[in-house]
Amino acid sequence: MNLQAALALGLPLGIGIAAIGSGIGLGGIGLGAMQAIGRQPEATAKIQLAMIIIAALAEALTIYAFVTMFLLKGKL
Amino acid sequence: MGLEFLARVRKTSTWLGGVVALMAATYASPLRGLAFGAGVLWSLVNLQLVERIVVTLLGPDRGTPAGLRRLGLALTGMALLFASGAALLSLMSPVALLAGFTLPLVVIVAKAATLLLLDSRAWRGLVRHRFRAALAALVLAIGAWFALGALTSAGGAPSSPAAERSAAASAAGSEAHGAAVGEAASPEAPETSEKEEGFTNIIALVAGANPHAAWAHFLEHYEVLIFSLFIALLLLLVAFLASRSPQRIPSGFQNGVEMVVEGLSNFIVSILGPEQGPRFVPFLGTLFVYILAMNLFGLVPFMHSPTASLNVTVALALTVFVYVQFIGFKELGPIGWLDHMLGNPRDVIGWILSPLMLPIHIMGELAKPISLSCRLFGNIFGEDMLLVAFASLGVTMLPFKQIPFGIPLHAVFFPLALLGSVLQALVFTVLSSIYILLMLPHEHHDEHAAEAGAQHAH
Repeated sequence: MNLQAALALGLPLGIGIAAIGSGIGLGGIGLGAMQAIGRQPEATAKIQLAMIIIAALAEALTIYAFVTMFLLKGKL
Repeated sequence: MGLEFLARVRKTSTWLGGVVALMAATYASPLRGLAFGAGVLWSLVNLQLVERIVVTLLGPDRGTPAGLRRLGLALTGMALLFASGAALLSLMSPVALLAGFTLPLVVIVAKAATLLLLDSRAWRGLVRHRFRAALAALVLAIGAWFALGALTSAGGAPSSPAAERSAAASAAGSEAHGAAVGEAASPEAPETSEKEEGFTNIIALVAGANPHAAWAHFLEHYEVLIFSLFIALLLLLVAFLASRSPQRIPSGFQNGVEMVVEGLSNFIVSILGPEQGPRFVPFLGTLFVYILAMNLFGLVPFMHSPTASLNVTVALALTVFVYVQFIGFKELGPIGWLDHMLGNPRDVIGWILSPLMLPIHIMGELAKPISLSCRLFGNIFGEDMLLVAFASLGVTMLPFKQIPFGIPLHAVFFPLALLGSVLQALVFTVLSSIYILLMLPHEHHDEHAAEAGAQHAH
């Protein structure tokens, strides 16, 4: 397997694997936030803000994989 | 069929003429598009003047001095118009000018024909039943499909080498741009359309029209910078116009801008606390508005998101980094800053752990700009790429690639892009304010819900 074939297989796969992890994380964040809002509806604004921040942090991991793909795409 | 009909004709012709002129400028040559637009404009002014003359001659105030004066004005305008028409004919390509000139007339004929058709008995019989109307629409669509195919295969024959080349290039994936907004596959600019990805923007168009000029290369090289400066100027203009003559009871524009500023101010103060917050509202609010405008700019046709380039996002993140360190030095002093970096050691265990805490803190501080810039860049770039991919899919789905039509498949993702743009600007601002909050001398550490998230991350 030469470098190009390895890249062509690995880049989309890498994004997919990163997306699985991020998806699990985002699901957990959403679950926790929804439950918290359900318990304390008056704190919705604060919970939502924290949720968005943590969701952005979790989502960033997939974005790193995505950026890496675009950096390595030139070698294809 | 009164004057209202003419007004509708004017409206339709203006829109249609603008779109066709833009297409001609993109696909044929900019000069030809300009000539077409000039032709449409000339024809529209001509129609307007003729209408004015007819109204003055037949209207209620014929013969009065006011009517006579209006008539004289219209006739003078007519003479001027014909002189300018002659000048235009000698300057620009006559074919495009004539095509532009006939466009409003074509619109009049088409509108009149449609009116006649809609009033006719056959049409009423056709659309009475839903099923029959659907069948007729289907037949029309299929007929249009085949007619377009026949037209383009007959008319597109001379230009087939270029079309084949662009088809081959887009099959290779290197030219997945253009699509619904306008494809830069013009034969003049092969080398410029090779390296850039994404929708064609206006600077690429201008540079593609002059491939050998030095200033075109300069423009293309600093395209991101030019767009971001343009956005900054736009925001400056908005701020200036909104605060030029402030009213006590604001209305309209001033009201809207004040609403935005007040909302941002409340939001930032709710994160940073009422005594520290107001100081940082100008910096963080500007950051939010600027990033939001830059994110949304990619959705405007012929424009380009500056934040879809790593250079801009790194610059923004470095600005935040330097600002946060500056705040730390100013608020804590050098000793306090070092103390913060050592993890605020107060007891024996703290001092033992401090050599470990220093590299962790330094790495954490350095990771902040990297994560900020990569997140913003990746999200906006990914959004744009998604739109481009689906738009080019919509174009290549149609078998005849020469015609500038496509199925707007990417329209589904506009709401997603809007949401993502706002969310990323918000996340950038919130994270920046939390970095500032972490740098400030913290007495009541655990009160803010948002802070917990940032501490988990770093």
